[in-house]
Amino acid sequence: MARSTIIIAENSCIIRKGLRSILQNLENSEIIQLIDNKDEVCKLVNKNKPDILIVNPNMLPTDCPDLKRKFVNGNKLSLVLLSDKKNLKDKLKADGYINYLDGQNTILDLMQKILSKKNQNSIPDKNSEIISSREKNILKHITLGLTNKEIADQLFISIHTVVTHRKNITQKLGIKSVSGLTVYAILHNIISMDEVK
Amino acid sequence: MRIKKDMKLADVIQLNYMLIPVIHRFGIDLGFGDKTVSDVCEENKVDLNFFLQLVNAYHDKDYFPKEELQTIPVKDIVNYLKMTHASYLNEKLSEIEQKIISLQSEDTEDQKYILLIRNFFDGYKSELTEHIMHEENVVFPYVLAVEEIIKTQSFSEKNREIFDAFSIEKYEEGHDDVEEKLMDLKTIMIKYLTPPANSTLYHTIIQDLFKLEEDLNYHSRIEDKVLTPKVILMEKSIKNLL
Repeated sequence: MARSTIIIAENSCIIRKGLRSILQNLENSEIIQLIDNKDEVCKLVNKNKPDILIVNPNMLPTDCPDLKRKFVNGNKLSLVLLSDKKNLKDKLKADGYINYLDGQNTILDLMQKILSKKNQNSIPDKNSEIISSREKNILKHITLGLTNKEIADQLFISIHTVVTHRKNITQKLGIKSVSGLTVYAILHNIISMDEVK
Repeated sequence: MRIKKDMKLADVIQLNYMLIPVIHRFGIDLGFGDKTVSDVCEENKVDLNFFLQLVNAYHDKDYFPKEELQTIPVKDIVNYLKMTHASYLNEKLSEIEQKIISLQSEDTEDQKYILLIRNFFDGYKSELTEHIMHEENVVFPYVLAVEEIIKTQSFSEKNREIFDAFSIEKYEEGHDDVEEKLMDLKTIMIKYLTPPANSTLYHTIIQDLFKLEEDLNYHSRIEDKVLTPKVILMEKSIKNLL
């Protein structure tokens, strides 16, 4: 399963780093960035596309009107507010709310809930780590050096489908590069060494 | 913990052994007794400010030298980065390669798989080399030209050409791709290969790969956190010059 990525945007250094240290106890997630500067929130969130943005509402740019629409929907981002004021959650349509006074377990429970909701769709069953025979076939074509377009044409499927298969293969195997996938394919007799190149 | 000039260098190394190759690149040898960071820097004619910023950026992921950034000459940073590059190309990569080769010669049965690893590592090596060459031939000359423009407050024809042809933004973009292959290699060796008879050597290679990755991460942090922001600032002030 892919790890969910989290960005924390909060101007107080104590809270920012404190929250990071709490969230390190969270499984299957990774804090990829801490933001201390209001002006960078927009840019960095769009660049790094985290799964979850934990943000102090003061850090939300007022002059960035596309924030919620573009960030939250476009990136499939979950928004968690971090503040000492209540009742902000509904106003900003956030997915969760962490109060400065919340204890460690409350915070972890909330985050766990958000994470499992997010992952519901992406993990169909426990066996998903093993690649299917369809995916094996795609993998074979990839390692033979075919482009997405060529694979799509040969197998009579759309490029979009090829891309999705590729993404799933990479996610399941934990291997991203074509040469890495090739090694895997040879080790598992999906192709022979002579077929490569 | 922030590393400061009056700390003993020995304590600094105890704090983070990954700094050993770093100080070595500055020409500082181990065996410095109880000397402080500033003593050792003075002895070895290393710029103290630069040294401190560098080791701190290496040591602490969140360290971001804002004000101090202005004072370091780009030339020094580039020289340091070139030394790191040389140590990757001349030492680290070939060390690992040698180990893979000796793994190969020992085992007859596993040869086929080890050959796969070797070819894969070769591919990685040439990719990293290419990346490094790009930095040395395109990025660094650009950065040095930018510094010269600032210093002289004018464009020579050559610098103008270099300045127009590149921008540090382009550099930021292509920076993550090289790590991919290294991570794949680790994954394959850990998850999918049956270890050969000489498992000790095999394990050492995996550990070496982790260390290499860590060192590369440190290295790119210097590029991303020290060099790049500085150049972005300089680019801005040059645009005002135009």
